[in-house]
Amino acid sequence: MVRAIKGVLVECDPSIKAIILDIDSKTHDIIVENLDESHLIIKDNKVAELKRILEERLNEHTKVDSLEEEEEEEDD
Amino acid sequence: MNSQAMKSFEHLEGLSEAIFKRLYQQPATALAVFRRMLPNLAKTFVMAMLFNPDPVPVSSLEAFVRPDQNRLKEEAFGKLRQLYIVTERQGTFALDATFKVELRKALTGGGSPGSFGLPCDTEDKNRVDISFLDRYAAEQWESILHFMVGNETQSSQRPSEGVVRLLLHGKLMEQNRASGTVITQLGFSFLLQEVNSQVWTLLLLYLDMAEQLRMDPVDILHFLFLLGSLELGQDYDMKSLTPTQKGMLEDLRDYGIVYQRKSSSRRFYPTRLATGLTSEIRSLRSPAATLANATPGNDENGFLIIETNYHSPLQIAVLNLFARLISRFPNLVTARITRESIRQAIGKGITAEQIIDYMTANAHPQLRKNSPVLPPTVVDQIRLWQIEGERMKVTSGYLFKEFATNAEFNAVCKYADDIGVLVWIDKNKGMLFVSKHEQIADYIRKRAQSNR
Amino acid sequence: MATKRKGSITELAKPAPGPKRAKPDVSSDEDDDDLEEEVPDEEEQGAISRVLDKFSFTGARERSEVPTSDTVSRLFKRDELSFLKMKPDHESRPMWINPRNGKIILESFSPLAPAAQDFLTAIAEPLSRPTYLHEYRITPHSLYAAVSVGLDPKDIVAVLDRFSKIPIPDEIVQFINGCTGSYGKVKLVLKHNRYFLESSDMKMLQILLRDQVISEQRVFTDVGDGDGITKESAPKMGALVIPGTKIAAGVAQGQQVVQPNGGENEEQKPETAEELFASVTALKEGEEDDDDDEEAEAVHSFEVCAEGVEKVQKQCLTLGYPLLEEYDFRNDSRNANLDMDLRPQAQIRHYQEKSLSKMFGNGRAKSGIIVLPCGAGKTLVGITAACTIKKSVVVLCTSSMSVVQWRNEFLKWSTINPDQIAIFTAENKERFRGDAGIIVTTYSMVTNSRTRSHDSQKMMDFLMGREWGLLLLDEVHVVPANIFRKVIHSIATHAKLGLTATLLREDDKIQDLNFLIGPKLYEANWMELSEQGHIARVQCAEVWCPMTTEFYQEYLNETPRKRALFYIMNPRKFQACQFLIDYHEKRGDKVIVFSDNVFALAAYARKLNKPYIYGGTPQQERLKILQNFQRNELINTVFLSKIGDTSLDLPEATCLIQVSSHYGSRRQEAQRLGRILRAKRRNDEGFNAFFYSLVSKDTAEMYYSSKRQAFLVDQGYAFKVITHLQGIENLPGLAYATPAERRELLQSVLLENSQNADVNSIEKETDGGFFDRTRGDYKRSGPLVKRNNAKLSGLSGGDTMAYMEQNASANRRMKVPPGQQNKFMRKLKSDAVKKARG
Repeated sequence: MVRAIKGVLVECDPSIKAIILDIDSKTHDIIVENLDESHLIIKDNKVAELKRILEERLNEHTKVDSLEEEEEEEDD
Repeated sequence: MNSQAMKSFEHLEGLSEAIFKRLYQQPATALAVFRRMLPNLAKTFVMAMLFNPDPVPVSSLEAFVRPDQNRLKEEAFGKLRQLYIVTERQGTFALDATFKVELRKALTGGGSPGSFGLPCDTEDKNRVDISFLDRYAAEQWESILHFMVGNETQSSQRPSEGVVRLLLHGKLMEQNRASGTVITQLGFSFLLQEVNSQVWTLLLLYLDMAEQLRMDPVDILHFLFLLGSLELGQDYDMKSLTPTQKGMLEDLRDYGIVYQRKSSSRRFYPTRLATGLTSEIRSLRSPAATLANATPGNDENGFLIIETNYHSPLQIAVLNLFARLISRFPNLVTARITRESIRQAIGKGITAEQIIDYMTANAHPQLRKNSPVLPPTVVDQIRLWQIEGERMKVTSGYLFKEFATNAEFNAVCKYADDIGVLVWIDKNKGMLFVSKHEQIADYIRKRAQSNR
Repeated sequence: MATKRKGSITELAKPAPGPKRAKPDVSSDEDDDDLEEEVPDEEEQGAISRVLDKFSFTGARERSEVPTSDTVSRLFKRDELSFLKMKPDHESRPMWINPRNGKIILESFSPLAPAAQDFLTAIAEPLSRPTYLHEYRITPHSLYAAVSVGLDPKDIVAVLDRFSKIPIPDEIVQFINGCTGSYGKVKLVLKHNRYFLESSDMKMLQILLRDQVISEQRVFTDVGDGDGITKESAPKMGALVIPGTKIAAGVAQGQQVVQPNGGENEEQKPETAEELFASVTALKEGEEDDDDDEEAEAVHSFEVCAEGVEKVQKQCLTLGYPLLEEYDFRNDSRNANLDMDLRPQAQIRHYQEKSLSKMFGNGRAKSGIIVLPCGAGKTLVGITAACTIKKSVVVLCTSSMSVVQWRNEFLKWSTINPDQIAIFTAENKERFRGDAGIIVTTYSMVTNSRTRSHDSQKMMDFLMGREWGLLLLDEVHVVPANIFRKVIHSIATHAKLGLTATLLREDDKIQDLNFLIGPKLYEANWMELSEQGHIARVQCAEVWCPMTTEFYQEYLNETPRKRALFYIMNPRKFQACQFLIDYHEKRGDKVIVFSDNVFALAAYARKLNKPYIYGGTPQQERLKILQNFQRNELINTVFLSKIGDTSLDLPEATCLIQVSSHYGSRRQEAQRLGRILRAKRRNDEGFNAFFYSLVSKDTAEMYYSSKRQAFLVDQGYAFKVITHLQGIENLPGLAYATPAERRELLQSVLLENSQNADVNSIEKETDGGFFDRTRGDYKRSGPLVKRNNAKLSGLSGGDTMAYMEQNASANRRMKVPPGQQNKFMRKLKSDAVKKARG
């Protein structure tokens, strides 16, 4: 019998999916169905919250660690 | 017609059936709706029905459409239904009777005199020419824009109270205790629009406000659509206008859409802002463009914007929306487009396309020699910066899964695609995601019944 | 133009700043990071900054209040300049000048732009030169350089005024006068083997003589006036002919090629800034040969003793009158002449000529730096300079491989007797025969402070014990200032010529070069050379590779230091690399893949079955791989670690792919691009070279990448972003196509990460020694290299590593047991030997 599930389809890069999985692994209340590398279904009341957390996490993770900057020049 | 102008009409699409029925009582309005609000395929359908005395079978309309263009077909039918232009009965389509009559009049030139405006029958002693009207329109319109960026002292007077009220009503500006009337984010985004869209945005706000003042929206829209069919340079007589419409003239004069020598004058001239209302060509270049030529002077990557003609504070204020200003000479402004500046602009509700359109429209003559005008890497980069913020594409809807047979799955997929609701599909897992489920559920039920 | 090169006037005015952190916003203007790597000689540093301190726009900035004109004025802060008056005919003039910071904006589409560009290159720093608008800045250094090539402040202002749309602001005039008033006024000239301080301004010498330190070093001569100051007429270029130039060709044929009113007049457009003056200001023509005007052309001088030269130099710097060094080689009778000339087939190009004319403008040799992109013939410029001076030369290179290349180039382009050009490396310690000659060596050989072998010491004694006519410094940008100090103090030379492609370092040590070597004499415009076909046209692209979910999850959970390997080994990046190699090999390209990370280098190369070279690759194997890459039709791709960044000449290469790089190093980006600029096929119809950076999305690589590109973007290069490689899914044999394979790869990366404390297993070998195998001669951190070695032996199957790659190293296929070499290889070898012998 065909089943229909209400939800929000998220299409995103695998990296974004990794972050969503990470967020979900703590609360388990976001993901409805994990479809493939770049698609998943989430609860429709979680979209806004997820977007907000995602933005934060992305800023965090593409930011460059100051440690690395320090190694800029290598000459001796 | 660009996407922004199109967007303005979404507002109109929400009007009630009763209002549409009344709107169609004027040939000018029927024609304007036909010209500006219908997709091309829908126009073809209308033409097929217009001179046909009988309802037309759906199948003969479908014959116009290639089988692989189902989506276009659904879109066209959808739009015609939404605007109450067609009525459906037992597999046939017919045009709304009023719409049909009035559009015929518009196209064949029948109908009562004055339905496309009543030209004055006497000579105007103070006759004005087209270039005067253009100058007048630009001055009036720009004084509004200047006022918005807080720059009314420059070359123009403060716009009328009516205009200010309208801007406040539309939340393009807001009252601020410290600095008086100031522009809002929405207002900035408005500044980036092409002039025709700006005019429509203001007029629709006007319509909205008028309804609150219990003015008749049909009267107003009739007049607006009528303006679009008038001839530039011709003077028209007020006497065929309704009292509401006569009242509107004063406001439209403030916007630069019509010209009247005195408010007591019985004749009025439409300006290019009016006659462009329902045409598909741009009326004026964006007002900014007539003032200056701001240009992305950088070619590939320097991200330097210059203008080498003369510039105005209006231009600079607009540039400041999406670029970091660096220096200003009497005839040159340098600014840099950066990731930050674009992300900020997007945060204000400005789109990458608006920025690109704006720069293209205002490019320096040196850049105009190129095709495309802007360097592709710059355009790509701006779009990429926008996409960067759209990391998830979300669509609400329904996931269908666990189909009994492959045949059923395939049939549902095809149907979903045909009616334009299919969003995602996985053939291996036998799952699909649709944006609307009612019709799909119906289809599955019917299919189950017929197979039984 | 995201990241700026340093050199702003305000920046200079500050004493050497401490370490500053870069702001996260890449595109910010203020995004300059100073990275201290060594504490500079404080005294000297102080002296330099004092000199620069005297002249800045800071004062001017405070002085003039901005007249606020309208509502948007405040948006520009101090760069609100709309109050400036335009000249009535401004439309026909190409530039604006900003009185607040000395920045100049040039409309490059103006008919006057070519002339203006030439002039601006001589007096200002080019900041960015894309298609329509160029940006320059007048700095104390740029004016120092302008003065040193003989430009006069009056003329600088006059020509600026010709080109400017607005009258030259007073601030700028004052700034120019201020700088030039102290710069270049005094020259240090070695004449008849005696040192003289020379100036056209008598007062200047009197000021110096009042200084105790200087006057102590003075040698009294009996000629001249009572005050011991000698007067003679100023030097002129006179009959000096730079070999290889058009004039030289004319002289050789005994013909007058340059005829003022001759038929070739149309081609003789004014080219150098000096000529431009003549044409633009009409100042020179009448005056130059005017005998009555001798006073203006006269120079005054006094002698200082040889031992005191350095003291005097330092003192002059402290006083704010840095000395210009000039070498009157035509009057140097003590040092023997070196019999060499350019070979007839050596035709130097117009920009090479231009740069040399800056060096020899007045018939003497000036010290300084010439900046030409890789592949634009820096070596030939150096050789031509040597052939002009015709005295003994020391050439300093960054690696023993380039030592060999330099010697070969000398033999190829000049008529020097092979016996007179010797090599000083770990393996070779010969001297040249005769009184004069050339020694080619490396910076490390000369500056190595460890105990030397007997031979080595004897060689050093030889280098230090005599006078040299010219010191050629190759790749000056890679060598830190303290090394230069050592070199310059230990080798007595009359003239110094620094050569480089990118006068650019992430730290700010470049400024020191101005005083240690000399001003920048010339900087070429990359785009212009590329349009003229002198260097290859390059299409640059940044390929965005999405991270797979699994790799990104690990990336997220790792500490920043250990994240790198996940984005480098990202399977999608690997696939992109595979796809691009396949695509370009099929097009007939020769591909170089760069990876700083040695683990990744080996993993990529092995998986794709391509040869690779890194610091630990034995010399013989390196040579073999490179020869195959150059001549074997079956070997079209080679993987190189960062040892391939510089001093490796592979003109066959037409495509570069960067897999991993050194953070945000703009220099490395430019150097790597340089590997394909000299592509042999560059003059083929419609030829394009390709430069790809593979970048993993949503990782720090994205940030670094945009930072890296800043320099090239300023040169006018456009980086196209590719978000999807069309057809990559359908590539047969695409690696890591299944989740199982990707998991396996992830396991090997995790293991690698856990076994190494510092995952950024980048060789510390740096730009030095591509072929420099003698560790003793090069300072490097041994442990790092050793660890890499261990790891790689593990990869080849020796250790119990999880890495399951089964492909035999492609390197091995190229190893042929001795004696079994095929004919072709034998011939190559014997050719090489023959060539080396000349």
